Amino acid sequence: MKQFNRELGKIGENEAASYLGKKGYRVLERNYYTRFGEIDLICTHSNSSGQERLVFVEVKLKQGEDFGTPEEMIDKRKLSQAERMANFYLMANPQILEKYPSFSIDAVCIVVDENRRVKRLNHYENLTF
Amino acid sequence: MLTKVLSAAHFGLETIPIEVEVNVAKKGFPGFNIIGLPNKSIEEAKERVKTALINSGVEFPNLKIIVNLAPADIPKEGSLYDLPIAIGILASMQEVLMPKEKSFFYGELSLDGGLRHTRGVLLLALAAKNLRIRDVFVPGQSAYEAAVVGGVSVYPVKNLEELVNHLNGAQKINKLPRTKSLKPEAESELVEFDFSEIVGQESAKRAVTIAAAGGHNIFMQGPPGAGKTMLARAIPGISPPLGDEEALEVTKIYSVTGNIPPGGGLIRSRPFRAAHHTTSRIGLIGGGSNPHPGEISLAHNGVLFLDEFPEFPRATLEALRQPMEDGKVSITRIAGSITFPARFMLVAAANPCPCGYLGDPKKECKCSPRMIMKYQAKLSGPLMDRIDLHIQVPAVDVDKLMPASAKASARRSPTSGQIRGKVVKARQVQYKRFKGLKIYNNANMKNKHIKDFCNIDKEALGLLKQAVNTYGLSARTYFRLIKVSQTIADLEQGRKVTAQHVAEALQYRIRAQE
Repeated sequence: MKQFNRELGKIGENEAASYLGKKGYRVLERNYYTRFGEIDLICTHSNSSGQERLVFVEVKLKQGEDFGTPEEMIDKRKLSQAERMANFYLMANPQILEKYPSFSIDAVCIVVDENRRVKRLNHYENLTF
Repeated sequence: MLTKVLSAAHFGLETIPIEVEVNVAKKGFPGFNIIGLPNKSIEEAKERVKTALINSGVEFPNLKIIVNLAPADIPKEGSLYDLPIAIGILASMQEVLMPKEKSFFYGELSLDGGLRHTRGVLLLALAAKNLRIRDVFVPGQSAYEAAVVGGVSVYPVKNLEELVNHLNGAQKINKLPRTKSLKPEAESELVEFDFSEIVGQESAKRAVTIAAAGGHNIFMQGPPGAGKTMLARAIPGISPPLGDEEALEVTKIYSVTGNIPPGGGLIRSRPFRAAHHTTSRIGLIGGGSNPHPGEISLAHNGVLFLDEFPEFPRATLEALRQPMEDGKVSITRIAGSITFPARFMLVAAANPCPCGYLGDPKKECKCSPRMIMKYQAKLSGPLMDRIDLHIQVPAVDVDKLMPASAKASARRSPTSGQIRGKVVKARQVQYKRFKGLKIYNNANMKNKHIKDFCNIDKEALGLLKQAVNTYGLSARTYFRLIKVSQTIADLEQGRKVTAQHVAEALQYRIRAQE
């Protein structure tokens, strides 16, 4: 089961990365982890006014929605976890902190069917609770 | 899309309209948030509303939903916002058309989409009438409370589906017709004892009858097992039914405290509340950080029975003093000050001493004078001064309890029904006397009413004056004596208060002051 979940997670990450890539995101880091937790994707993205922003992305994938949507799995706790990880990352990489003084957290929620084909993929920018 | 749904919040017996604003946004991370100082029970509405909608065949939107309860600075509680939130979400999804008329939506949802009995519906209907809001949508089981109020269309809603069909014009819900003034329901079989079952105690029965007829406070003292509790518990059987205005006042309190059973309407039988002596002060008087009515308010227009009177903590009893005089109680907390009505008839029972046999002709009292003093000191002068009738309930002679003689006495002594007839007649005299004054019995009279209404003859006045001088009675006692005399006169349908009436009233007052 664990093996299975990891595989699925990998699929989700790949899907999210390619989707964001198409949207003009540049992926800096994948599956960045420390002993305190992990963050799925770290990207940069320049918005319409040409300003570049640093984005930490939480990817959530579910196979079928019978047991709840991926959106339901992302709550306040998950968000503060991502925020903490972001701060860890910036602490470890001061050159990035210098370049991007602020950051935002996005979520990509993916639902796949039993054949692991993507049924839907939603990207939510700048999460706040 | 944004939808505004009207609902209400209750503070004490006041109702404030609350606007439930529901925004379902296409953009943003999906979620369901309620703001506007909700407490836990409203926070949990999320899960109820969500499941109820799904079980009513509506797909719950995977969108960003924000619910705001305005005005946002008043703390809100209760489960009544389930229905307005659900309707707000449906309207924002354009699944349902909001009515053009201003309407109140109110009620708790069950997970299956049904509406549950919710407290406070009567107050909602009264508020709707005052605010000129025509339509009121409430749970079917609570709707009879609202149907008492005229000038408001009450729609009893069984479940969400029914309401959606109604609002979309597919199938209308029938308005509940106004329950017109209301015959007293068949006399409740809940009365525990009949007066004819109580052996002996003729003078005590007489005093209790007077108390019930005029709403006077009564204090019964006697050895254990004499029948004090039985006498008190028989009072509901002789109490007159509530008048229309009285019933409305009582039902308001019962509605807001959730004491009306599902499907129940106006309360017609006079409240009888028996509070145990471990009842806390707040339980008795009312209070809490969000003030809640206590037993004295639940006994409004009815009877509050305190058995083992001296066993109550002193502070609890002394707290009764002010409400007994004013007929209402003001509770002030940080959240605000709330006044609840509390015009009750106090029935108190006590033993004369810790062992209970002080003054008993057969059994010797084992208590030391110090113990007796300590016991009796629990009942303070000012408190006892507010009680109009003090009676002794002596132990019953064994011979009278024997089956043969008990049967004979039961045949001789009047039944509760007969006494009730007399009491009701006396009350009718009082209703007529105080018409339009919001006073319903002699005990509620203020001093100025005594001047206006009590027709005391000269001889009686002389006797009163003499009594006050001889026994050193207080001014309050003087006025209370007149009120009791008036009730005795009313029981006889007498036009004047005579010396005989005063003498009887005096006898109940003096006896316990020995």
